[in-house]
Amino acid sequence: MIGEGLITGIGRGTMAAWRELGGITVLTGQVLRALVPPTMDRPELLRNLYRMGNRSLPIIALTAFFVGGIMVVQAGVLVRQLNAAGLVGWGAGYAIFREVGPMLIALMFSGRVGSNNTAELATMTVTEQLDGLRALAIDPIRYLVVPRVLAMTICLICLVILGDIIALYGGALFAMLVLDLEYATLHYSLVDNIGWLDFIHGVVKAGVFGAAIAMSSCYFGVSVRGGAVCVGKAVNAAVVAAAISIVLLDFFLTYLLP
Amino acid sequence: MAHGATSNQGSPTGAGPRATSTQQADSLIEFRDIHKAFGSKQILRGVSMAIGHKEVFFIIGTSGVGKSVTIKHLIGLLRVDSGEIHFDGRRIDDLNEKNFYPVRKRIGMVFQHATLFDSMTLRENVALPLRKHMQLGHKEALAEASVLLERVHMQHSIDAYPATLSDGMRKRAAIARTLAMKPDVVLFDEPTTGLDPVSARRIDRLIREMSDDLGVTSIVVSHDLDSIFSIADRIAFLYQGQVYKCGDRADFENTDDAIVRQFIGGHSQGPMETPGF
Repeated sequence: MIGEGLITGIGRGTMAAWRELGGITVLTGQVLRALVPPTMDRPELLRNLYRMGNRSLPIIALTAFFVGGIMVVQAGVLVRQLNAAGLVGWGAGYAIFREVGPMLIALMFSGRVGSNNTAELATMTVTEQLDGLRALAIDPIRYLVVPRVLAMTICLICLVILGDIIALYGGALFAMLVLDLEYATLHYSLVDNIGWLDFIHGVVKAGVFGAAIAMSSCYFGVSVRGGAVCVGKAVNAAVVAAAISIVLLDFFLTYLLP
Repeated sequence: MAHGATSNQGSPTGAGPRATSTQQADSLIEFRDIHKAFGSKQILRGVSMAIGHKEVFFIIGTSGVGKSVTIKHLIGLLRVDSGEIHFDGRRIDDLNEKNFYPVRKRIGMVFQHATLFDSMTLRENVALPLRKHMQLGHKEALAEASVLLERVHMQHSIDAYPATLSDGMRKRAAIARTLAMKPDVVLFDEPTTGLDPVSARRIDRLIREMSDDLGVTSIVVSHDLDSIFSIADRIAFLYQGQVYKCGDRADFENTDDAIVRQFIGGHSQGPMETPGF
């Protein structure tokens, strides 16, 4: 009986996951179709760029600054043991540009902006505001979802670029304070060993993560049914789905990108 | 009566509803034998009625009988399981989502909870359809929105956010937003529910003015008997998923039908079957 229940549970879970994945895929198709030709509500796009980008800046900057510091402090022990001070800039830069920067900032962005976006869209859905838009002959996908997807993608790319720079300066500051290294050592270690490809690798990841967060947060927002309890569940599902997709996409992108 | 009202009556014994012929000469909107179910629950079981130009047409009935469901079919928010809907001589129930947009520009809807957008001021809410459909620039749309809000006596709150206003004020703003589309028809889903009597009568007056002054056809879903008996041209009473009785105010006031009388009188005892009670 226990085995049967387990199999039923796994089956239900798998079906539910595929259903959600199917829903996100359909919504992605609708968004791509709405982008041709790229007609969208400019005020709505600008409003989303401002509140998603500008307002995320302080928390992303703070996180990035200390992430840079953590990278250096963690490396400190090895640097002393191996007398490899010349590798600190390269190590920190490589990790920040390619992996830690995009991934951590994407997770922060998902928690702050993605969840907020799902809650807002889900509330609009359960209070019939989306039907209100349709009744005004305005396509909710074109008017609400497309600007949000674009805004989240653009914002995350910009935040990752900015976060990378702040993380590097954070790392440099902690390296000078904790490891007693000179700024010039760190600088040349970075610029001599890190190429544009490392930077672009992270930027591409940021774009993909931004789109993934946007699609999952919008999907769970517009597909919610029921009342306030369902809004909470939708936010929860969106954050979990975004986190899982960030990790999975990170794996595949790391494997595929040069 | 500006329009030739027809009077049709279902079973006076309350043994079950009958399909009634509710055709109206020169009708703008026709529902023909509409069926709709949600899962296993059958809501509409053959709704047929016709609504004329410039009419104020009320759809009444107990909660859950399918009044809101019926009007949502008109703008494609719900799709019929079977039956036909005709608007201005053209069948519309089989249109796809994209082709429904021109219909929605001619048929506006004021929802029960107004559905104004929380992130926008009243003026921005009303300006939205103007920007989208009337090709007005941002400033022109805001100026036109101010005029529309003045028409519904909301000129003092044009820059307020919906959350800071009362239900009645939000509903008036929602009417202004719908009027921005210059629709031929406006659907009202319980426009006076939850309002104080003064606000409710103001909404009634607005609906009547829209018909008399602007030539707008109004279809109003309501339980509010004061509204019904003060501004309705014709009334359709839904019971058990069908139009049980359709007629003008006098037909309902003078009816001998026990079920209709029970509903209008608001009596808990009577032949009317109300699921869940």
